[in-house]
Amino acid sequence: MKIIIAGCGKVGFTLAEHLSHEHHDVTILDNRDLPLQRAAAALDVLCVKGNCTSVPTLEDAGAGEADVVIAATNSDEVNMLCCLCAKRAGAGHTIARVRGEEYSLNVNGLKQNLGIDTVINPEYSTAVEISRMLRFPSADNVDTFPRARVELVSFVSREGDFLNGRPISALPAQFQSLPVLLCAVERGGEVYIPRGSFVVQQGDKIYLIGQPSGINQFFKLLGRHALKIRSAFLVGGSRIAFYLTNLMYKMGIQCKIVERSYDRCVLLAEKLPHTMVIHGDGTDPDLLQLENLSSSDAFMALTDRDEDNLIISLYAMQMGIPKVVAKSNQQNYNRIAHSAGLQSVVSPKMITANQILQLVRGLQNSKGSIMTALYRIADGHAEAMEFEVNDTTRHLNTPLRELRLKKDIIIAIIIHKGKVIIPEGSSTIQLGDTIVLIARDQSILDINDIFADPLAGGGER
Amino acid sequence: MNFSLVFKILGRTLLLEGFALLLPTGVALLYGEDIRPFLYTILILLVVGGLLSLLRASRQFFAREGFFTVALTWVMFGVFGALPFWFSGQFGSYIDCLFETISGFTTTGASVLTAVEGLPMGLLFWRSFTHWLGGMGVLVLTAALLPSLGVEGTYLIQAESPGPVPSKLVPRSSTSSKILYGIYLAMTVVETLLLRLVGLPWFDAVVNSFGTAGTGGLSVRNLSIGAYNNPAAEVIITIFMLLFSVNFTIYFLLLSRKWRQALASDELRFFLLIVAGSIVLITLNIVPQYGGFTWESLRHAAFQVASIISTTGYATANFDLWPEFSRFLIFVLMLVGACAGSTGGGMKCSRVLVLFKSIRREIRQIIHPRSVNLVRLDGQTLEEGTVRSICVFCGAYVMVTLMASLIVGLDNFTFGTTITAVVSCVSNIGPGLEMVGPMGNFSAFSDLSKLVLSLCMVIGRLEIFPILVLFSKNAWKRS
Repeated sequence: MKIIIAGCGKVGFTLAEHLSHEHHDVTILDNRDLPLQRAAAALDVLCVKGNCTSVPTLEDAGAGEADVVIAATNSDEVNMLCCLCAKRAGAGHTIARVRGEEYSLNVNGLKQNLGIDTVINPEYSTAVEISRMLRFPSADNVDTFPRARVELVSFVSREGDFLNGRPISALPAQFQSLPVLLCAVERGGEVYIPRGSFVVQQGDKIYLIGQPSGINQFFKLLGRHALKIRSAFLVGGSRIAFYLTNLMYKMGIQCKIVERSYDRCVLLAEKLPHTMVIHGDGTDPDLLQLENLSSSDAFMALTDRDEDNLIISLYAMQMGIPKVVAKSNQQNYNRIAHSAGLQSVVSPKMITANQILQLVRGLQNSKGSIMTALYRIADGHAEAMEFEVNDTTRHLNTPLRELRLKKDIIIAIIIHKGKVIIPEGSSTIQLGDTIVLIARDQSILDINDIFADPLAGGGER
Repeated sequence: MNFSLVFKILGRTLLLEGFALLLPTGVALLYGEDIRPFLYTILILLVVGGLLSLLRASRQFFAREGFFTVALTWVMFGVFGALPFWFSGQFGSYIDCLFETISGFTTTGASVLTAVEGLPMGLLFWRSFTHWLGGMGVLVLTAALLPSLGVEGTYLIQAESPGPVPSKLVPRSSTSSKILYGIYLAMTVVETLLLRLVGLPWFDAVVNSFGTAGTGGLSVRNLSIGAYNNPAAEVIITIFMLLFSVNFTIYFLLLSRKWRQALASDELRFFLLIVAGSIVLITLNIVPQYGGFTWESLRHAAFQVASIISTTGYATANFDLWPEFSRFLIFVLMLVGACAGSTGGGMKCSRVLVLFKSIRREIRQIIHPRSVNLVRLDGQTLEEGTVRSICVFCGAYVMVTLMASLIVGLDNFTFGTTITAVVSCVSNIGPGLEMVGPMGNFSAFSDLSKLVLSLCMVIGRLEIFPILVLFSKNAWKRS
């Protein structure tokens, strides 16, 4: 597909990287030389210098034939205008990054009046992701599949867990009877899609999928007490903090925000009447102690500096806070954080990239089955996807044991008429079902991509 | 200070007072009384006002001129408005006449008269009519009737309107004034008709409506509203006293069908909470005196609470004889007063509410020294400057009360009499407790005390600072 990305900042660059890896024709548009040079050197993309809100420039960049235009500059207004111009120039699907709190309330208005097909708000999505983590404090990461209403959680196995040292098929019956599936294991930078004979070791990062109630039962069985989070301590009054506080207020969680800039504090205090806003340096341990950090149930480091976030998160873990979440866009740091025991790290950049990748794949495969969610797990080595089964899907009503799937792919969940089924050999995929797949190191566009047998007729798509 | 323009505006308002006097003159004619006191006063006002309004003036007009004009106008209105009483010879000294007139214009309703019944109807009408004029403000009326006031109108209304932040209803201030007076007039007419309907004579219905509308409280009967012995009238007046002590902006919002915005007012809810709470507490407290729970005790409690918190000052029962708790609660209500932007006086509910919120914030700030706390009202954050000026206002209010009490204390009356007399004047209520209670009056005070109390009334009506500006040396410098 032909894709134009306006604005070569952090998000723009990451998107270009991922999309060009997926064999799309990417054109980057920016009015600054330096980022363009960097992109041209590192990526296989076309770089055009110019103003992304001018129709002639957009036409030069090929907006007329573009399937997707993504506006990801730093300015909300420029992004909206860019989408409007691109639509005029004849672009297919337009995506705008809009982060402002004022605009986020009226997304439908933006879509209707400005010709924007999709509005992406990385900060809001990040806040949603963090709020999900708070629902399963025992899990390190939580991803939700909206149609299937199942959650994919990850956690690290510790010494003495009943999972360790035995093949999965030989685990106690109590575990086998739970409606959850152990669907991926990350060990030493490698990802495994486990079979019955797989043996979990201490220190493995385990991905578990199932309904919320099943996951809660599992953590109880594992002996990890899931306390309900009642108070949260946020460092950094960024946009994420703003959205997150609103979400947590609805969940009944008391929040405290520490922010360095006084003006931002006043703004936050004005917009968040139920939240205590504290002016000060969140990296100062004295201040954190004065504000009684250790009595909080959860701690989130959301400042603009990834390094600060990771360090103060480690400090908070040391203070014994049960749930610690750090924001970090630097993938390299994340490994260090993981090895230090900090598992819950969110990256707005990755969340945005995932959203857009899902969207682009959906557009690419507009005739096949519809992808309704896509998550990249284990540092992007594996993907979890949710699909709606329609009549283009092959092998309907065939028992799974008779199907030959490609290597390292499993069907994790089948939702049949609202009922969650953990697939067995006798299960079948039927029309109207929703399924969740886990795949390692390959990009799946359609359910049909998982079958090992070649498509009859040699590719009609 | 642009004195020529200040005096020019003063002249125009005095002319307006002259025209206003035509109404009581008409009443006096109707009842076949001596109209000379009114005619002399009108003549004097026309000459003085006419000469002043002929002054040539530059159009420089700022907030200080606004404050100055308002303060001067209110004092002069009292000085000239007292003349009909003085010319009639029915009152004692000129000081008594001045006290009575200022009490009327400031909608206080404190009286030096021991016996009201028997005074000429024309004079009684003028006494009550001053309430109606003063309730919404004489300069608001001037701005409504004389659009040539133009820009300066905004400053005048700002200085005269009660409340911390005057709200503009529409872009033009003269239109705004017209709307306010329209609502005011319509509500007065409705009340008059209702009172007539339940059996009050026309004259009484009209003057009592004037007293309610301005939240004044000067009555034409010695026993105030209690004299009619008419429960229906009492209920009507109770309701209208409360209606007139609500911010008029809310009525404008209701008229423009902005229901949600109108009912979202924090001040309104606070006001209604205080009213309902006080009625319940006082009813429970006075039940023994009325021999068990009766509708009468509830009605009396409701009427007195409405009368005091709206700063009207009518009475149907002698609350001075009530138990100490009720008396004290009434004293607290005297300080709180009505809503901002109404015709009532007192500190105003919104200020008290902001004061409470500031106290809560101060406590939070001690526990969390680095926390950023804002004071919000109606979901909007108040600017620091507004919060500060509200706190200063409350401090100044107490200070003025204490200073005045010191001087009035020279008369050697009891502590209760002295302090409630002053509070009642500063809050523009009328009755206090003990000697100045609902069945008493202010006649026993010395001339000095009467002057101080008159000044207190104007200070309270104009919310302190316009009058204090008069005492500033810098304000008198020519510009």
